[in-house]
Amino acid sequence: MRTKRILKNAFKNLWKFKLRSFLMMIGIVIGIIALTVIVSVGFGAKGLVMERVKKFGLESLMVTAGGGVQISQMGSTGQLTATLKLDDAEFLKREIPAIKEIAPFNRKGNADVKYFEKATTTTLLGITPSYASVWDWDVTEGEFITDEDMAALNRICLLGPTVQKELFGEKDPIGEQINIGNIQFEVKGILQSKGTSPGGGDMDNRIMIPLSTFMRRVANVDYLAAIKILLHDSKEMNTTVENINSILRERHNISTGVPDDFTIITPTEVTKMAEKISGTFNLFLALLAGISLITGGVVVANIMSISVNERKKEIGLRKAVGANSKDIMRQFLFEALAVTFTGGIIGIILGGVGAKLLGVIMQMPISVSWESILVGVVSSSIIGIIAGIQPAKRAAKLQPIEALK
Amino acid sequence: MNNIIVKAERLTKVYNKGVGGDVFALRDVSLEIHKGELIAIMGASGSGKSTLMNILGCLDKPTEGSLFFEEKEVSKLGDKELASVRNKKIGFVFQSFNLLARTSALENVELPLIYSDKVNVTKLAKDALNLVGLADRVHHHPGELSGGQQQRVAIARALVNDPDIIFADEPTGNLDTKSSYEIITLFQKLNKEGRTIVLVTHELDIAEHAKRIIKVSDGRIVSDELNNSPRNAETELNKLVKEVKNEN
Ligand SMILES: Nc1ncnc2c1ncn2[C@@H]1O[C@H](COP(=O)(O)OP(=O)(O)OP(=O)(O)O)[C@@H](O)[C@H]1O
Ligand SMILES: [Mg+2]
Repeated sequence: MRTKRILKNAFKNLWKFKLRSFLMMIGIVIGIIALTVIVSVGFGAKGLVMERVKKFGLESLMVTAGGGVQISQMGSTGQLTATLKLDDAEFLKREIPAIKEIAPFNRKGNADVKYFEKATTTTLLGITPSYASVWDWDVTEGEFITDEDMAALNRICLLGPTVQKELFGEKDPIGEQINIGNIQFEVKGILQSKGTSPGGGDMDNRIMIPLSTFMRRVANVDYLAAIKILLHDSKEMNTTVENINSILRERHNISTGVPDDFTIITPTEVTKMAEKISGTFNLFLALLAGISLITGGVVVANIMSISVNERKKEIGLRKAVGANSKDIMRQFLFEALAVTFTGGIIGIILGGVGAKLLGVIMQMPISVSWESILVGVVSSSIIGIIAGIQPAKRAAKLQPIEALK
Repeated sequence: MNNIIVKAERLTKVYNKGVGGDVFALRDVSLEIHKGELIAIMGASGSGKSTLMNILGCLDKPTEGSLFFEEKEVSKLGDKELASVRNKKIGFVFQSFNLLARTSALENVELPLIYSDKVNVTKLAKDALNLVGLADRVHHHPGELSGGQQQRVAIARALVNDPDIIFADEPTGNLDTKSSYEIITLFQKLNKEGRTIVLVTHELDIAEHAKRIIKVSDGRIVSDELNNSPRNAETELNKLVKEVKNEN
């Protein structure tokens, strides 16, 4: 009862001395905004990483042509190193028992496609039948590419939903003939929708054709862009990476000291790269949060201290009418807490809005989690207690006679 | 005797005053206050009235001597017990009112109740304001009240927790004559209802309303006498009001 009344009194005083409360609150509000954004973005980034790794697959690894390829360049259309061959892929599958399946593929970035007067530009992939299981990417209509298609260099294709809509609208495309470049292909199937990639690209704007057809009839090349490899067990990841590395170096005649002409990307790699992106941003915000919370805390402590000096008469009076030292201590602690807690709540709300906006701008799946609210409430309360304890102790020691001076 | 509220034994208060040496604000003061008394403590400025009052009211501690409040030795009370005595047994009225600014009359009167275990805080505070004739000023802030009204709020605050004794240090010191008589009228009324009141004043005029007058000089009690014919503030107030009317 008594504690409740003192607490109520603390909040009333917060309102009575608006300017003072406002000044005390600013630093806390800014700090908690930054903190809320960090925690929300941190969790968002973590979610993003998890999503990427899940899409990539924990038992998966990828060998791409060219040395030192960054994950962010993986989808790019630049000139490929021409050393990664289909033979390499088949050799790896044969030699390494840990490999369950391989999906060698090649790609062309901007392929022009046409269906009568409708035209569009898309990414063209040359793939093998194993692509479906390795990438977990099947057709929803028609049929996937088969070994016969591969052997016969068939001119058949699978359309991503975006391409399908562009070229056919509501019309059924199966069995229709389209032009890719100036070669005619028959539509054999419609690919399952994969939405946007974590990088923001449209994964449904794709056409897939047999790898053999791609290499011999379309691009006229004898090399691959990459090989995605599926293992039996993710525990065999490290040894397999080593094996692939030595086999490929030997097959490509790379002497010691010369860098690889391929890059092996593992789920760990995917995680690391995604974390690096959010890491720099978080470091900046963490600094901002830390600095403003410390500054805010110091400001609260100082103003509380000044306030105790200015309110000696009030404290004396309260003691004269029956407040004990603990009551006064509690009053000033509560007042500091009321300020930082209210500042914290405001910071959480503004920070939450900010984080959401940032999520929209950065195309990241940011949600204001209960963790960020908890972190905000707890840290602002802790600051309130730390900042308030000294002034409160000093206030509690004052004598009632102070009221009479 | 069982009706002793406060008993002071050989109180001495010394202030250390660096260069000028020690100041003896009180020397060897002994006295008893009984239930139902209306006492005026008189004396020149600097004679030690406030010092005595603050010690009797448990707001200050004597350098030497002991004080018994309802048979309990005050110096032996802990922080909590002492606060509880101040809260439940003593009401204090200050010369400069000491009301909280930006706070309504009602909330000012509620202040002691915050620290009590009473439940019906607002009702008790309203009753006390009613008793001092300020029922219609409940939501006014001190800045919106006259000096006399502010002092009545302070008296309501001293009354609100139904104390055994009320101490008032120059309650009329900052007030004009009419307001002073109003306050004294109030004290006489409260005393008639059975409340024990001790007030400090340096005006004989005011002191003559008390039933016992204690004179202090240079930190000592120089006289302590019963006043067998205390003046009645209410009749004087009425007279004053009439005079003002006649003048107009
Ligand atoms: N805190 C203090 N420090 C030092 N000396 C003090 C203090 N308080 C009072 N004194 C001194 O003690 C003596 C008694 O003071 P006190 O306030 O009790 O007098 P008083 O009778 O109430 O005077 P007044 O009528 O002016 O209020 C004075 O000489 C005063 O200067
Ligand atoms: Mg005085």
